[in-house]
Amino acid sequence: MSDRIVFEDVSKFYGEILGVNKVNLSIPPGITSLVGPNGSGKTTLMNLMTGLVKPSRGRIEVLGIATDDPEKMFRLVGYSTQFDAFPKGLTGFQFIYSYLCIAGMPAPEAERTAWQAIERVNLVDAASRKVAAYSKGMRQRIRLAQALAHNPKVLVLDEPLNGLDPLARAEMIALFRASAAEGCYVIISSHILHEVDVISDQVILLSNGYVVAEGQIQTVRNEIQEHPTQILVRCDRPRDLAARLFQSEYMIEASIHKDGRGVLLKTRDADRFYLAMNELALDGIQIESIAPADDDVLSVYEYLIGNEEVVR
Amino acid sequence: MAVYRRSYKPYSGTLTAPWSRFLVLFRYSRRTLFRSKLQTGFFVACFFYPIACLVMIYLAHSIGFLAKIGIPPSLISIDNMFFFRFMSVQGVLAFLMTAFAGPGLISPDLANGALPLYFCRPFSRAEYVLGKSSVLAILLSEITWVPGVILFLIQASFAGASWTWENLWIAGSLILGSLIWIAILSMLAMALSAWVKWRVVAGALLLAVMFFGAGFAQAINAVLRVDAGHFFDVGYLVASVWMGLFKVDAERVISASQAWMALLVYSAVCLWLLMRKVRAYEVIQ
Repeated sequence: MSDRIVFEDVSKFYGEILGVNKVNLSIPPGITSLVGPNGSGKTTLMNLMTGLVKPSRGRIEVLGIATDDPEKMFRLVGYSTQFDAFPKGLTGFQFIYSYLCIAGMPAPEAERTAWQAIERVNLVDAASRKVAAYSKGMRQRIRLAQALAHNPKVLVLDEPLNGLDPLARAEMIALFRASAAEGCYVIISSHILHEVDVISDQVILLSNGYVVAEGQIQTVRNEIQEHPTQILVRCDRPRDLAARLFQSEYMIEASIHKDGRGVLLKTRDADRFYLAMNELALDGIQIESIAPADDDVLSVYEYLIGNEEVVR
Repeated sequence: MAVYRRSYKPYSGTLTAPWSRFLVLFRYSRRTLFRSKLQTGFFVACFFYPIACLVMIYLAHSIGFLAKIGIPPSLISIDNMFFFRFMSVQGVLAFLMTAFAGPGLISPDLANGALPLYFCRPFSRAEYVLGKSSVLAILLSEITWVPGVILFLIQASFAGASWTWENLWIAGSLILGSLIWIAILSMLAMALSAWVKWRVVAGALLLAVMFFGAGFAQAINAVLRVDAGHFFDVGYLVASVWMGLFKVDAERVISASQAWMALLVYSAVCLWLLMRKVRAYEVIQ
């Protein structure tokens, strides 16, 4: 069995509307975030991954299983949509329990497993209340519970952090991390880029139905040649440092940090820059720290997609 | 890249048989239906006429009692017409029951966007439709062919083996006629329920299809001076089929075979409409 989620030249058109086009991906275990503006194809990609939508072209395999084999695939996959989708009149417990029964779990096992899932999302006290009476955060959590109740290896979560307060958000992130630490595949779409940055092992950036970048965020950042790398250097003599560095042709811009104890540099060649820093350190400039300033999701998103829709 | 312990353990217990999973939908939907007191009351009322028929069967075989109260035994005849009338009455009740119960089957799931939740399990669209339609199928069976066959068996027990063998086809007609009606009603109700998210409107539309269909058929026949208008009247078509099944002698402008074909077309159209809507996703143009 393959240990990847594989998209091979996948396209999906809804009539004349482009969903996604020519997508090639190989998603490893861990937390993978899908990032892109509205209408970029995140949900389509998730629907394709979960077999809810058939690709117009191409092939998708989830851990070696074709997405048109639901009996095998949905043992592995749990999906939480972004919509408030709840059949009418069910309590939180019934909601989880009924879907486990539909998935083929015998009643006693389904009951036990449903309670476990409810405990994982901290909703035990509210489990006997109707979902219709839940707050948005509680709905988000019960939705997550139904996705992970059958212990899937692949968790596909569409905007799972929307509507959650900071505490609940932290709990959810801890849950994602715990799942990833067990070797599961957690696929998340989100607009909240600083959180994506913190939790993701890799990101997939989408724009207008195309994958514009994928992989670990630092790797993606290094491959964006047209935008110079920004590096913040903390040192005792930032002006001297800036003056010395500006003698090199790969330096583009330098600005003194507002606290006067650092310099923000832009360079075309980060490798040569780091070599030069070694020499400067030997020449007596006291360097406290050197840190990339734009190898986060937000910067990469802005460089590749633009700054519309970004939630900081 | 993080280092993963790979301690994940999937569920490895037993699974229920795939064919039985649609019954989960049946269980929940039926429970929801009978939460309504009006629905429960109407369901009970649907058994009044079968009970009256039971009394008539009993009376038909109590010649002494009939003589005592002065009713000639020939007045109550338990034959194909008796069961045809039973079907007609129960058929109307089945239609009203469908108008009440049918629209609430799919429209809440669509209105709440719940379909992806069903289909991201090992559960197909066909199983979903089967699960939802089984609610109506079983509910309508309980008020049509099940009491009909029970009445037939009671009559058979009174009338003896020779009557039973001679009239066994009536039991078949009861079952087949009911199943046709149930299939048509279920398909219509679910197709309307899938296309009209507002439950009340879907119920009203079902009534409109039957009553306005009949009116439309009459209008076409009158204006164009043809008989083909009857093809728009589902009630007329079903009656034509039933008359054929119960060997009722009456002049029908549409033959039973034509009616069969028309009903098949209606069912296919409803199924097509249903499958167009019952999808895991909705594309908003």
